[in-house]
Amino acid sequence: MQPEQAQTNDVELLKAIARQDETALGQLYDRYRVILFGLLVRILNSREEAEDVLQEVFLQVWRRAADFDENRGRPFTWLVTLARSRGIDRFRSLAARERVALAGSREPSEEISDAVADAFRSEQKNLVTTALSQLPEEQKQPLMLAYYDGLTQSEIAKKLGAPLGTVKTRMRAGLMKLRELLATKSASFGF
Amino acid sequence: MDFEASKKVMSHEDYKQMIPGHALSALDAAEDRMLAHHLVECSECRKEFDQWQETVAVLALDVAGAEPSPQIRERIITQIRAEKSAGQTNVISFVPSQRSVWSSLGSLGAIAAAVLFAALILYALILWRENRTFRTEIATLKTEIQTSQVQLDRKTKLLAMIEKPGVHFAELKGMPMAPTATAKVMYDASGHAMIVTKGLPAAPADKEYQLWYIVPGKKPMPGKTFSPDSHGEGMMEDQVPAEAMTSAVFAVTLERKGGASSPEGSMYLSSGS
Repeated sequence: MQPEQAQTNDVELLKAIARQDETALGQLYDRYRVILFGLLVRILNSREEAEDVLQEVFLQVWRRAADFDENRGRPFTWLVTLARSRGIDRFRSLAARERVALAGSREPSEEISDAVADAFRSEQKNLVTTALSQLPEEQKQPLMLAYYDGLTQSEIAKKLGAPLGTVKTRMRAGLMKLRELLATKSASFGF
Repeated sequence: MDFEASKKVMSHEDYKQMIPGHALSALDAAEDRMLAHHLVECSECRKEFDQWQETVAVLALDVAGAEPSPQIRERIITQIRAEKSAGQTNVISFVPSQRSVWSSLGSLGAIAAAVLFAALILYALILWRENRTFRTEIATLKTEIQTSQVQLDRKTKLLAMIEKPGVHFAELKGMPMAPTATAKVMYDASGHAMIVTKGLPAAPADKEYQLWYIVPGKKPMPGKTFSPDSHGEGMMEDQVPAEAMTSAVFAVTLERKGGASSPEGSMYLSSGS
């Protein structure tokens, strides 16, 4: 999702982190903290939990930077996947203990500053938002429930009162359409 | 689903269909394990999985960014410095040495043992992760069972009330504080009442909803307090005051925890026109 130059720099930063260069980790943190923290706040709906997980994510980056393989994907994808995976794990473990408390509070946080949000209204963000708005609601809804709420396909089927096979088909169709829409809008998405 | 049995009947195309769900971390545990095993063996599916992960990752851009506390950066740097210094104390200097054939064979044995050891550690790690997943699933199911039991108890009580002869019903509508909220009050000839609410916003920690019995010309009579669940659904049993048995209007207000003797908070529901 970054310009080509930033992509190259990200890869270089990860290589430097793999050599235990803490300045490189600081640079990577400064570059991605806002978007990853925004994602974690959206998943966990708690700044405190999100900060805790953000710290875990960058410690994991520090320990596992050598595992990053640029042939398999971009640093952005690797970082978002790490953050989301940790965020969903934390949410599921919290939900198992506090399901009732959390169930009614899954709206986006209101603490997000407009200034920061404005800073992230990049062209690519707009493209993603536009592409998502073009998905049929029946395809978009299961994607959102899986991505932000960490629900499995069975849980989504139960929540929406739809057959499991239908949910699987709609999720797959939604992702395929999203990929097509993004690919036609911008080459920088790399699909 | 039996893992080995399922694995035998799954085709390559079946696995491919599961990949987008896997990229979204939305597969159920059994499917997730099956696909993970397949991905180890199938480079084509691994490549496709990587591509789907790229698509899934861009969804993060739809979220508004947020600024974490500056202390988080400091905490991360402090932690990695601690790890670095701990690692440095364990550094062993490398001294090249002449090796005989026998020592090389010994080294091969050591490498094989190390590989075996690493495989055992990996296997233990997989078992531990699966165990952790199952524990989480069990905890989730227990919570769901408890929630279902509460709902079943409520419905049983409601059914018993509805089946009583001569039960009175009153419908409460949402006021401007909660326009979509609704409630029903039922009470029998003895004054035993039940109120069932839907769509009420969650009450703040220091407040509760309170039922009121309003008879024209008299001071509102307080009923019991209650708190709806996270879905806005609530149920409470109470005793209708004798004066309110024939011509009461019912109302619900948000009051301090424990309730008030006369209404002080905003009105959320009312049976009045």
